Amino acid sequence: MLESAKNTMVEIRIHGRGGQGGVTLAKLIATSRFLQGQSVQAFGLYAAERSGAPIQAFCRYSDDTIHNRNLIYEPDHVIVLDPTLVGPGITGGLKPGGWILINTPASPDTLQEQFPSNRLATVDATSIARRNKLGTRTVPIVNTALAGAAARMLDFDLDEMRAAVEHLGFGGSNLTAAEEAYDQLEVFEPATLPAVSRSKVASSTGLYHADEERGPSFVEGAGGGLPGIETGLWATEQPHRQQFVPPCNHVCPAGNDVQGFLAALANDDVDNALAIIVRTSPFPSICGRVCPAPCMASCNRIELDEAVNVRQLERYAGDHGQATVKPVTTRDEHIAVIGSGPAGLTAAYHLARLGYYVTIYEQGWEIGGLLRTGIPGYRLPSDVLDREIGRILSLGVDVEVGESIDRNRMLELTQSHDAVLVATGLQELQALRLGVGDTEAVEQGIDFLDRSHRGEVRVDDEHVVIVGGGNTAMDAARSALRLGATNSQVIYRRTRTEMPAIKEEIEEALQEGVAIDFLIQPITLRINEGGASNEGRHVLACRRMELGEPDESGRRRPVEVAGSDFEIECDRVILALGQSPDVSVFPEGTEVRQGQELLGLLETPVYAIGDLATRDGTVAGAIGSGRRSALHIHNTLNDIDVPVTRQTESSGNVEVWHDEVIRSDSLKLHLFERRPATDGVAIAPEVRRTTFDEIHAGLTDPSEAKRCLSCGVCNSCDLCVTFCPEGVLKRVGTDLIFDYSHCKGCGICVTECPRNVVFMSHL
Amino acid sequence: MSVEVVSGNHAAGYALSVAGEANRAARGASCGIYPITPQSEIVEYVASFPFHKSRVVPVESEHSAMAVSMGASLAGARAFTASSSNGIAYMVENIMVAGYYRLPIVMVAVNRTLGPPWNIWADQGDTLMLRDFPWIQFYAEDNQEVLDTTLMAFRLAEDHRILLPALIAMDAFIVSHTQAETVLPDQSVVDRYLPELDLPHRLLHEDPKTLGGLAWPEVAMSLRLEIDEAMDRVDEVFAECRAAFLDVFERDPGGAIETLGTEDAEIVIVVSSSIATTAREIVKRRREAGERIGFVKIKMFRPFPERALREACSAANKVAVLDRNYAAGVGGIFWQEAKAAFQGYRDDLIIQDYLTGLCGGDVTPPMIDEVIADIMARTAETKPVWMTAI
Repeated sequence: MLESAKNTMVEIRIHGRGGQGGVTLAKLIATSRFLQGQSVQAFGLYAAERSGAPIQAFCRYSDDTIHNRNLIYEPDHVIVLDPTLVGPGITGGLKPGGWILINTPASPDTLQEQFPSNRLATVDATSIARRNKLGTRTVPIVNTALAGAAARMLDFDLDEMRAAVEHLGFGGSNLTAAEEAYDQLEVFEPATLPAVSRSKVASSTGLYHADEERGPSFVEGAGGGLPGIETGLWATEQPHRQQFVPPCNHVCPAGNDVQGFLAALANDDVDNALAIIVRTSPFPSICGRVCPAPCMASCNRIELDEAVNVRQLERYAGDHGQATVKPVTTRDEHIAVIGSGPAGLTAAYHLARLGYYVTIYEQGWEIGGLLRTGIPGYRLPSDVLDREIGRILSLGVDVEVGESIDRNRMLELTQSHDAVLVATGLQELQALRLGVGDTEAVEQGIDFLDRSHRGEVRVDDEHVVIVGGGNTAMDAARSALRLGATNSQVIYRRTRTEMPAIKEEIEEALQEGVAIDFLIQPITLRINEGGASNEGRHVLACRRMELGEPDESGRRRPVEVAGSDFEIECDRVILALGQSPDVSVFPEGTEVRQGQELLGLLETPVYAIGDLATRDGTVAGAIGSGRRSALHIHNTLNDIDVPVTRQTESSGNVEVWHDEVIRSDSLKLHLFERRPATDGVAIAPEVRRTTFDEIHAGLTDPSEAKRCLSCGVCNSCDLCVTFCPEGVLKRVGTDLIFDYSHCKGCGICVTECPRNVVFMSHL
Repeated sequence: MSVEVVSGNHAAGYALSVAGEANRAARGASCGIYPITPQSEIVEYVASFPFHKSRVVPVESEHSAMAVSMGASLAGARAFTASSSNGIAYMVENIMVAGYYRLPIVMVAVNRTLGPPWNIWADQGDTLMLRDFPWIQFYAEDNQEVLDTTLMAFRLAEDHRILLPALIAMDAFIVSHTQAETVLPDQSVVDRYLPELDLPHRLLHEDPKTLGGLAWPEVAMSLRLEIDEAMDRVDEVFAECRAAFLDVFERDPGGAIETLGTEDAEIVIVVSSSIATTAREIVKRRREAGERIGFVKIKMFRPFPERALREACSAANKVAVLDRNYAAGVGGIFWQEAKAAFQGYRDDLIIQDYLTGLCGGDVTPPMIDEVIADIMARTAETKPVWMTAI
């Protein structure tokens, strides 16, 4: 094909990308000539190359000894390993009439217009390499195939190239690739090559005199280095920013942005933390005291050491932060809220913020519902409750106390309001028939707590038995101690595992001296007719239980143990067996479902919310229900569709949002330091059992929030920015900016991100 | 003997390895070695060489690499190492100690620009910073000269009249990474060229002694004088090593300097390392055109072959020295040495410095022509001329 190259030096320049084997191709060609007795050189032009970077390699061969140690500026031929490199750059200095060999499936005549002054040859070396399993699918090593193609183009014997491939220790599929390419090479030789002068060469043999023409100064310039190279062309992957749902946010019944307010606290921004919480919940100081905190149970940090003390941090934000809440606008619609417990108050709060006129109807004389009457002051002081209720009322919410709502009054409300929310909670108390006895000795826990709250009860020197395993049972038992009981004994028909009470409350009750006896079912109560010990005025007959198969709640059902009856002498029995909704306010047959429009009376929507609808039993659940209902009403009244989603706020330019919850196995826990949780100081049990003063002092500072792992949410830790070897990752405010033109896709930012915020995508 | 297409690094790795292997019947071979671009291929080569009696110790730094080699040498092993650029800078303290300990360690250095700015290409500044240490220094032009000079360096360094370490430098990439045909002599032939190492001050369990302890000024000074006398003997011993090389390998590896056309040259071009290949061709071509231009390649830099250089320039009235190195505040280092060599002998001579291809710049034929045009037009020396190809 080519006129004899004998007796002249031939110089070949190879354009490829790091990893394709360009330097070895130069060596293959050189070796094939060396084995034919010629003098050879093969070398690369080395700089800061990494896999994928454009590289150049060179090859010279000659019959005479080569006396040249320069780069090749005016090659006789050019070989291009990667078709994406085809452009004007590859012909710099190329001699007219010289060959251009390109690895491409395209036929060579299609390139004629682009390269009119050269002979053209093409071969699909990538397919050949892949077929022969050379390199990887994404980075096939094409050099041995192109060596075969070059042999044909340069008019070598195929055997001469075979010898070189074998001489360098490449056999098998490399040899096959060379042979296939030799056979498959397509060539195009223009009938007449235009008589053009040599291409203008950017880097020719010009001279640079440093004393005449200066580069950038070290001290006044950019340190004398190279200008930034656009490395983005090398990349096969790019980093991006994503965000997941942290488990705490996912499980919070109130829908709080837990991670968000912890991040604010970690930055010592207590006001902002409070501002984030009051977007969803008006009760941070309350939840910070009484919430069972499912966020802590789901905290990924448990896998590292122990959960972040979210409950105390929420209290800290509520107790120490300042946040102003205001209605966003004014609207004409009037909404009635029946009941002033946490669900009703929360609904009123959100509706008032949305600009509605809201009136709360409360049958008692104080507002707060169970928050006030059902939770003892040592857990929730009334001034805390007053403060948070005050924030709601400051929005202009009206309150009508002493308003008992029956069916008729309900009908009136639907006529005078644009929507009615029923948040009457669980008013039907679960009773237990204990037979004939002193009825004054048996009392419902809720009533006992209410009377305790109002200072209307003492149990001095009494043995009090509390029946139940929930929070009311714990509160009643602990209140009994404070009201003078010598013995406060809880009996529960299942075991501690099944107790629905908050874990910490159980522990604190035990610390204070409450006795909790499991697997006991009370049967009857009778007056003590003068037993030997005369320890109490009554005798409670009980029966032992054992756990059977799980019931519909998933808890194992207690089963009576035959012949196990025994008696407890006591003075008082408090029943804390749970409550159920009182639906008498609704027409008969009404089905109560959360968030559902119940009645179409006069086209006024009526909603049941809170425990009445959900039976959830927690303040946090009531808050969530109240908020969702408020937004639901807002959507209904305005015929709009604002999504009632949980709150996971973005702090910066998140590119990909995930609805899924991030678990600890997606985090790099080894990048975090172990540190035990901090808790507020509690009063000693022997002191606190005598007083209704609050038993926890709360945290002294919010540094506990720094333990938050910020799962799946960027918290500007900047490890990615710090470790980016090219310095192309920048933080602007809370945004992460990836400069893709200078990013080579190494993925170090991903490796360094402890919280799975940065991820790579294939290009 | 075989001829292979290999890189300069490969040639160096081969030479160090077969030289070490040649000591297998005595105390074997050893090196502490640490990789650095563009020398890493040498490390890879010696680390995978199937020595019969050796210890190749991968260490955590260049400083320790030389420390290991010194320990091995003192124990009687044929010791060597290799490094480059900032790695040499880090090794400096122990490089100096090896010299004053009179240990015949051979080091291959790939000349690479000292950073900053970061630059991996050829510049002799790294090894020339060692010029005042008691080390013999060679600058090799191509792969073959790297191999040949390395073998000779062991014989020279280990000669009891010398007992000084020796260094062989090559240009980064231009030599270290360029694959070209190279003669790789068989082990059996190398065995004949390199006698077993017999270090006279080798440490022995049965005869404990301390080396390098406190010496009063007069003693220390006398040790310096001993080194000076050993340096004075290098010319003579190197000539023997060259003759023996010719005898064993049946090739002339060349002397401390190489000349072309100097017998009648009015202008002499003085070069070193890989620039010699290009400059030699230009001088040849221009002599064929009738110009009285001569060529000198300085292969041995330390001790500096000043007498040979003076003789080579005896017909000249102008000398152009090409330096791919720069001593801050002075200029090229070969130029300084040349100036000193002629001081008091040829005060009429114009000796002009050309800083060519510093920091890895390509030194091309047109550049050599430009140097010749400049020196021809000169009537006086000036400060160095800075130039490179772009």
